Amino acid sequence: MTRHILRLLAFGLALVGLSALPAMAAFKLKGEPKIALVIFTQKNDGGWSQALDEARQRLEASMGVKIPVVENVPENATAIRPAVELLISRGFNIIIGSAFGYSDTFKELSEKYPDVAFLNPAGITNGPNLQSFYGRTYESQYLCGMAAGAASKSGKLGFVAANPFGLVNWTVNAYALGAQQVNPNATVTVIYTGAWNDPVKERAAAEALIEQGIDVIGQHVDTPATQIVAQEKGVYATGHHRDLREFAPKATQCSSVWVWDRFLEPEIKKIIAGDWTPPAYGAFLSIKEGGTDIACCGDAVPKDAADKITAEREAIVNGKQVYAGPLADRDGKERVPAGQVLSDADLWKMDWFVKGVISQK
Amino acid sequence: MADFILNWLVVSPAFAVPFALAALGLIVAEKSGVLFLGAEGFMLVGAMTGAGALITMGGHPLLALLVAMLAAALVSLIFAFLVVVLRVDQIIAGLSMVFLCQGLTSLISTQQGWTNRPISGLDPIALWPLSELPILGRLLFHQDAVFYATIAIFVAFHWISNRSLLGLRLKAVGENPDAADAAGVSVALYRFGAVLCGAALIGLAGAYLSVGVAKIWVDGMAGGRGWIAIALVIFARWQPWRALAGAVLFGCIEALIPRIAAAGIQVPQYFMLMTPYVATLAVMIWAALLRSPRTGQPAALGTPFVREERR
Repeated sequence: MTRHILRLLAFGLALVGLSALPAMAAFKLKGEPKIALVIFTQKNDGGWSQALDEARQRLEASMGVKIPVVENVPENATAIRPAVELLISRGFNIIIGSAFGYSDTFKELSEKYPDVAFLNPAGITNGPNLQSFYGRTYESQYLCGMAAGAASKSGKLGFVAANPFGLVNWTVNAYALGAQQVNPNATVTVIYTGAWNDPVKERAAAEALIEQGIDVIGQHVDTPATQIVAQEKGVYATGHHRDLREFAPKATQCSSVWVWDRFLEPEIKKIIAGDWTPPAYGAFLSIKEGGTDIACCGDAVPKDAADKITAEREAIVNGKQVYAGPLADRDGKERVPAGQVLSDADLWKMDWFVKGVISQK
Repeated sequence: MADFILNWLVVSPAFAVPFALAALGLIVAEKSGVLFLGAEGFMLVGAMTGAGALITMGGHPLLALLVAMLAAALVSLIFAFLVVVLRVDQIIAGLSMVFLCQGLTSLISTQQGWTNRPISGLDPIALWPLSELPILGRLLFHQDAVFYATIAIFVAFHWISNRSLLGLRLKAVGENPDAADAAGVSVALYRFGAVLCGAALIGLAGAYLSVGVAKIWVDGMAGGRGWIAIALVIFARWQPWRALAGAVLFGCIEALIPRIAAAGIQVPQYFMLMTPYVATLAVMIWAALLRSPRTGQPAALGTPFVREERR
């Protein structure tokens, strides 16, 4: 998880700022479609990979096909190449990856096997038969922030995050903006643990936040430790990756969840139908296009707030922008002028915080 | 402010204990002359087994810790066999144990479904009437059983190492195995025993991470703490009390980092994440300036023993 997301920054740079290549001919699949998923960790990791595997299971049910999964294929060419080539030799021609670290090898394989379609979440490479994709998680975290703001009595929210860079910072800022929709004075104290998968540090962070009187904690790390601490201490939390009510049913009020199947199903159908032309810089999916969504709400969110969240989700689906101007950072500097929307390039390099976010430098 | 400091110090032992136990485990093994680089792996074995035992068997968490110690000792049989009997290079054997344990714990926990399952954990025990003391009572006499056990283990090791024949022989095997062998001490037996005991302590350190601190098992959760323990041992020059002091230092800093952030104190966060290592460097420089160049490293560390071998 760490590496593939860390280097997503580069994905951002690749996505934007460059002019589109000339339109390419649609990809044509040879033979019967056979789909397989290759995962870089174990499939039931409780977070990122498990969300992908659950999408696979839903795809199997809705499309009526078998989609086998290969687990624990680490993010290096010597591991990926034989696993994928074995699948291809057995007739699989739609290969779904799972990690940033697959980018280069998938690119190389997609050139070697032009008749095979490659799809890679969190990847940064694209081609005529290769497409990378990621979700606009700030939309779902914004809605979770609303739930947190509604569930909080003190107006003091916390957030346990991994590392301070664009795709984490955009969830923190969106969380604060969402909370302030419900409670204009809400603050979000964020702690960066410096690791994606260290429940010891996450617990310490959550406990420290609760000691400071914080009563709802959001998160963007890979384990449910934050939720579990919240439940132990009788406060609330919101989750990331998957519906974390599974681990902390009382505490979890809302989760930002991956719903890859909503994006993958139409995409795979296009591949099968022969009218799939991957965009030159991959797909950056909003709630409307699949990818990310919310599981909401817990019983600490009042009914009217829950309705407001549903309405706001609807508005986002209909085009409402979380990072719409005028928007200033917490030092008062204007970041998005009125009438404009923060560009994708600025999202990926976001290193500023909105008013109400309390963090270290 | 007083509350802040007290809250911080009260939770610090929980972070110090894993470092202290792992470092002591390494010292036990290395006093016998076996270079032990597998700490990270054995912490994982302990962490996973502790959580797994609690999930599958229930019962008292202390029982789970005991099972974890046994499991780590059991896995260390492989390492002991490699380095003591087959005399494989100890660096390579130690490192490969880390990878073996990473794979093994990942495989077993996946198949058993132990990942991400919340577990009950340890409750603090108040040592009445000492627990009623102001400040010190909360700090030292209202902790969980493993905290008290850690202190007892350190005292016991100090006594064994300095006051008993067993300790003398252990050190002899590590310093000069030929002399120990000539005196009728079984080098192989002592090294085997030291590796097993050391691994059990490291396993306890790992189990405390999952059962006592995080109350959850996730893949690879030792998070480099085994490597830090190795650094602690070098920094402590193989002396247990210094290792304990180093562990307390690391524990206090690890507990302080999130508290500074939560209190909204504006300190550059990368500076904070760096502090434990800066502290280590500072103490090592101080120690180097202050003392004689003797490192305290067992003289035969890393050298396989072959009876009557010419050197």
